[in-house]
Amino acid sequence: MQGKKIDKEKLRVALNRFVEKQNQIVYGYGKNGIFITHKIYTDHVEDLSLFNPYFGINGATFFYRVFSKDIKVVMLLRPCEIRAMIELVKLNQIEPETITMISTDCPGTVSLKKAKADLPDDFLEIQKAAEKDDGGLRWACKFCREKRGVFGDAGIRVQEDGGMWIFPYTDKGSDFLNLIDEELVEYTGKFVILESMKTEPFVTDMDTFHKDFSKCILCKNCRDMCPVCYCVDCLFNGDEYLPKGDAFINKMLRTGTENLPYGKEIFHMIRMYHVSQTCVGCGACEEACPQDIPITKYFKGISERLQNLFSYMSGRDVKETIPYLTFKEDELKDTED
Amino acid sequence: MSDKTEREPEIVGFACSYCTFKASEMAGSLRMKYPEKVRVIQVPCSSRVDPAFVIKAIFEGADGVFVSGCHPGDCHFIKGNYYTRRKMAALKEMFKAFSMDGKVKLFWISAAEARRFIEKITNMYNELREEKNAGKKN
Amino acid sequence: MKAGIFICHCGHNIKHTVDVRRLSEYFKKIPGVEVAIDYAFVCSEPGQDIIKESIENKHLDRVVIASCTPSLHGDLFKDLLKKSGINPFYLRRVSIREHCSWVGDDIEANTEKAKRLILSGLYSASHYIPLEEKMVEVNKSALVIGGGVSGLNAALFLAKMGIKVYLVEREEELGGHVRLLNSVWPSKRSGREIVAEMVDELNRLANVDIYTNTTITNFEGFFGNYQVTLKKGEDEKKIIVGGVVVATGFVPFDPSIKPELHYNKDKRIVTTLDLEKGLETLEISKKPRVAILHCIGSRDETIGKSYCSRICCINAIKTAEALKEKYPESYIESFYMDVRAHPKGGEEYFESVQEKGVLFTRGNVAEIIPTDKSIIIRGEDTLLGEVYEKEFDLVVLSIGMSSPVENKALGQLLKISLDKDGFFLEAHIKLRPFDTAVKGIFIAGSCSGPKDAEESINHGKASALKLFGMLNLGYTFVDPFISYVDPKRCSGCRQCEEACIAKAIKFDEKLRIVKVEEAACMGCGLCNATCPSSAISLKGYFDSYISDEISGLLEIA
Repeated sequence: MQGKKIDKEKLRVALNRFVEKQNQIVYGYGKNGIFITHKIYTDHVEDLSLFNPYFGINGATFFYRVFSKDIKVVMLLRPCEIRAMIELVKLNQIEPETITMISTDCPGTVSLKKAKADLPDDFLEIQKAAEKDDGGLRWACKFCREKRGVFGDAGIRVQEDGGMWIFPYTDKGSDFLNLIDEELVEYTGKFVILESMKTEPFVTDMDTFHKDFSKCILCKNCRDMCPVCYCVDCLFNGDEYLPKGDAFINKMLRTGTENLPYGKEIFHMIRMYHVSQTCVGCGACEEACPQDIPITKYFKGISERLQNLFSYMSGRDVKETIPYLTFKEDELKDTED
Repeated sequence: MSDKTEREPEIVGFACSYCTFKASEMAGSLRMKYPEKVRVIQVPCSSRVDPAFVIKAIFEGADGVFVSGCHPGDCHFIKGNYYTRRKMAALKEMFKAFSMDGKVKLFWISAAEARRFIEKITNMYNELREEKNAGKKN
Repeated sequence: MKAGIFICHCGHNIKHTVDVRRLSEYFKKIPGVEVAIDYAFVCSEPGQDIIKESIENKHLDRVVIASCTPSLHGDLFKDLLKKSGINPFYLRRVSIREHCSWVGDDIEANTEKAKRLILSGLYSASHYIPLEEKMVEVNKSALVIGGGVSGLNAALFLAKMGIKVYLVEREEELGGHVRLLNSVWPSKRSGREIVAEMVDELNRLANVDIYTNTTITNFEGFFGNYQVTLKKGEDEKKIIVGGVVVATGFVPFDPSIKPELHYNKDKRIVTTLDLEKGLETLEISKKPRVAILHCIGSRDETIGKSYCSRICCINAIKTAEALKEKYPESYIESFYMDVRAHPKGGEEYFESVQEKGVLFTRGNVAEIIPTDKSIIIRGEDTLLGEVYEKEFDLVVLSIGMSSPVENKALGQLLKISLDKDGFFLEAHIKLRPFDTAVKGIFIAGSCSGPKDAEESINHGKASALKLFGMLNLGYTFVDPFISYVDPKRCSGCRQCEEACIAKAIKFDEKLRIVKVEEAACMGCGLCNATCPSSAISLKGYFDSYISDEISGLLEIA
């Protein structure tokens, strides 16, 4: 594989070359008070944090429905965020022509809800901090399927000695690499993160599910902050699945329901099915949950099982079709009972 | 309800108008018998069955749900049942992860297969009844 | 909502296992239900009058009819609603006969089930919106597939009524299997003669196009406007027809499938069809001993053909008679399971042939052993309970009818179903024996199951008559069950467009939402199930309809 060896300064120079032009912006992370958050750079890149130890919101959430083709964007985000972007491209919610997506190796993150302030923004230091305080790493990150920056138009990978390399994956990626003062050379070293994580198929049961979700208040924050829940009007805004008012009274009298809020299992299960092929397992839902329900465990577990069924991985490649939208005549012979 | 009484499972089925629903009509015309707790909803094609319906039925009290369409390759809408197969495979996998195997089933029953219709639903009913009453008898 | 619920007794069919009175009493108390009536025959004229009066007097806006299955009397009740002045799509049919009273014996359980079924129908109907059927013109032309006697008669009938007919035959000559018959029982006339008369008559009509050596390669469209591609050799021709009569007939059972019959291996073992070519070719003595075996390729589970072919008993008797007439001193013995000489005059014919000296032995042949001198036949006489072993000079196999293997491909092309034996399936075995599940496509003759020549001719004429009735009207209504996009809710993710089988969904680049091309939409509902927010929905099968139907079925009543 051919790539360019870079450091923070070389990357900063390149990004500034890009951002100085009219209508070109850089989207990445930066210091925001005592934390590091998503940031947009419109004319100058100064204190970009390439790695972000905090996770609050999936960066793709801000980029729904991007159709403005006259603005060019370079994005430097985590693999889970780039994967969500790619799913949104497939779902026609983003027109990717002018967006260069660069995924960076991810050292794992801590929850913004519970995190200590002033964590470092260097890859190896974040990793060290996470090792020291294992409880700090988010569940989604501990069991992250793919922390490597191998998605999008280009990827930034980290070597064992802390050195960084950037590799182009598409023509758009190559265009960005042209801004970096460095020669393309064949890479032979060793990365910190070598391979994706393999996990056992997720198994649970209804009792555990009921117990975990008994705290749910149906605020639907998990849906709102989910990067791949893109519908302009959700199925659950109507009365059909989650009745309110008269419809609810009616239903209660008709079915003898006793538990309130009514329909939360249906809400989570149907949403789980809806995002089953597009879920990237980022854990944004859990971050958004005011009740600290371990939502990600279920959504990530189920979606990985269901994606494996079709040898599909959300956000792997923009050319792949979402499995429910296609079929093979000769497959799944044992689905019939 | 006392623990000794046998509990009957309730089954909701989604049947394609062009095949399984016809088979169920034929089963009726031939006076074949099946448990009363099995009830069928007619849909134009098995591909109309949104997995959300299945989930809803299960969480509103059905002990089992089946979706039934034409044999692969025989769909009245040419390819609808191939999509159904993918969706149902995924949904069944999901229920499996929740340790609820056997609650959701996919059948292929053509318009001529009234007997197969009866066999499939009776088997499903018996399986679910056994599961529902497991541990009650001793 | 002001709903009327009409519960049919269907004579005793529903009443005997469902407490209909309890149902009507129950539904009278349900809010929104204005009328709940149970009546002996809702489909009868007085029954229809009750519905009509209720709609008019009580201003009903939903009509729930709990009776037989929705595929029966559908148009009748729809028309009734139209006549009574409300939208016909406010009708809800609930099947409490085929899906309730006939499939369970327990009156308590059945009544409970019927209650839930009607309830779910009512809930579903509460969401109904009025729909409009589009009226389209019907091409007054018909395609007849197969030029055997039933196809010929269907073509003749339609052509005489002024319908443009395209008759397509795969073989070089018209006439099918009847053309090969030496004599057509009971007329004693040759099949060639009978067929020639029909073909001559057809040839004299100007509005018939006959295509022999022709197959169908493509078929699409809907009733009134089917586009068909015919292929003759290398030439392809496109035609447009209003309706179709399928009369592809049968294939004679091939006895070589069962090696124990020694057919094709021994010249002394022949079929009834072989003998139709004439008895002259037989190399036998003046005093032949002949065995005739019934039920070859019929009522035989070992080869998966459990049905009776209906023609072979008469064929066997006919062959015995012909042999006896030609060789008065012959010894003829017929081995049968049951003699089913069901056509008119058949039983008398059977008697008369017995009187001529043909012996009938009950008990199928178990073994055929050809030797140099003779053919030994073994079996059990089930009347005497004795094992027989006899020698014969000639063995005649009375073969039955099999379905052509091509039926499967044709069925897929025309989207019509096959039964378990590979014959085309009728919409209802008793009430709609000529119809298929597809509007405007009829079946005729032995392609829908074994029939003799007379039945095939009648079947052909009847199917043609039914098709004529539909074509002659000149217009038809297209089902309004097509997809519809709610522009406010569509996210423009194009998942439905990607999945749509008919490619009826197009993306509007400007509005960034999808649109449905109504003429192309087939109405399967795949898009509806694919859309996560159900912004695209199938008319007549909205989420709310099905969702509430589920609730109704599972409700604690």
